Amino acid sequence: MHELTSILRQFAVIIRKDLTMEFRTRDILYPMALFSLLLVVVFSFAFLSDPTRVRDYGPGIIWVTVLFASTVGQNRLFDRERENGCLWAMLLTPASRGAIFAAKAAGHFMFTLFMEVLTVPLIILFFDLPVPHPATLVASLVLGTMGLSLIGTLFSAMLMNARMKEVLLPLVTFPILMPVIIAGVKVTALAVGAQVAEDASMWLKFLLGFDMIFGVVTLLLFDRMIRS
Amino acid sequence: MKSDKAIGKFGPGPLLAILATAAVLIALYAVFFIAPVEATMGIVQKIFYFHVGCAINMMVFFSLCGICGLIYLIMGGSRGRVASFVDALGVATAEVGVTLGAVVLVTGPIWARKAWGTWWTWEPRLTLALLVFLLFLAYLALRAFTGSERFGRSVAAGLAVVGLPALYFIHFAVQRWGGAHPQVVYKGGLTVPGMKLAFFLSVLAVMLVSATLALIRTQQELQARLVDDMFLKLDAEEWK
Repeated sequence: MHELTSILRQFAVIIRKDLTMEFRTRDILYPMALFSLLLVVVFSFAFLSDPTRVRDYGPGIIWVTVLFASTVGQNRLFDRERENGCLWAMLLTPASRGAIFAAKAAGHFMFTLFMEVLTVPLIILFFDLPVPHPATLVASLVLGTMGLSLIGTLFSAMLMNARMKEVLLPLVTFPILMPVIIAGVKVTALAVGAQVAEDASMWLKFLLGFDMIFGVVTLLLFDRMIRS
Repeated sequence: MKSDKAIGKFGPGPLLAILATAAVLIALYAVFFIAPVEATMGIVQKIFYFHVGCAINMMVFFSLCGICGLIYLIMGGSRGRVASFVDALGVATAEVGVTLGAVVLVTGPIWARKAWGTWWTWEPRLTLALLVFLLFLAYLALRAFTGSERFGRSVAAGLAVVGLPALYFIHFAVQRWGGAHPQVVYKGGLTVPGMKLAFFLSVLAVMLVSATLALIRTQQELQARLVDDMFLKLDAEEWK
């Protein structure tokens, strides 16, 4: 019991550190938000505007924006730790590796969600997208983003010192994240009232399963990888 | 030096190569002379034997690669002989798997053109093959860019290990993605005994060829590292 509270405290401390630094520098949020904004503008020019078909491409626009913007966040996520060798300092403290990983992933999750809070309403506004089931949309974004953050944080940490990290990261994460995109687009399509003959709960459960399995796998792998 | 002896040794490679050659010839004979020509699709149906053989073996080799990564990581990335072997086997299985994947993705559309009237459909199995192929192309890219030192090895092993559960999720998502029809139309309908025989012989032949390639590649990788080590040792002695 005592151990659990101490891990939770370590988790909270690292998160607070990251949020404080982010609040002062806006190193991650600012590029992420600006990039997603630009993507939305690009998308509005990339498609022939046909208001009757907005339900077909709207979910895709939302998820491509989220995926690309979250990649920008992943690239920057461990930059502060890499400069001055701060990650080694963090690993030298008695803090558990699980707490470090969970805190970094939670940080990425929060930044990405913040970006979504700005961007998704904008997409709905720009494309005049009807949202008959807002709760379903929010659920798909939260569960999907959790998956993006877990995979993204693991590989961001693994490739921290790699050459051409910015190029490699999406190459490696996109194939693994394909199920999240498939499920996310499906649930979002249902949320905007597209004609899809499926139920949202199955895909939401699928996303939850993805998050749970990869929550465990990434946690174990982070511990292993950081050791070598 | 004991490392000298490992260089230039062949092992079971040549024997396996001869077996594989024989198996391919027998399988080809079975495909073209024993199995009857399929009634509706005609001669094109014969692609099926090697196409599915490659697809099955691709999955087997990618799973092997994941297992190699898992063993490597469990051993904690040590420099021991087993870890080194498992890592080299991981490279070899991934490369052979990608080669098989390329065969699958080229023969698949040729088949689809005749059977379904289109070069590419997002049929669950085709989609799965494509996504898994991309995943392991990324594995090879990762290895190419992060090098074969300890860092690169463990990163690649990590990707292979994440790939195992990802395979399951991709499989599930792709099955349901096409719509509410998870039931896949079975491609062959292998009712004729001649077809069954040709099919199993093809799978076996592809497996033997892949195993030969993987074995030779593993040996080559291990020997390349030995040569690297020897070069570094010589270099260090020169600077003394």
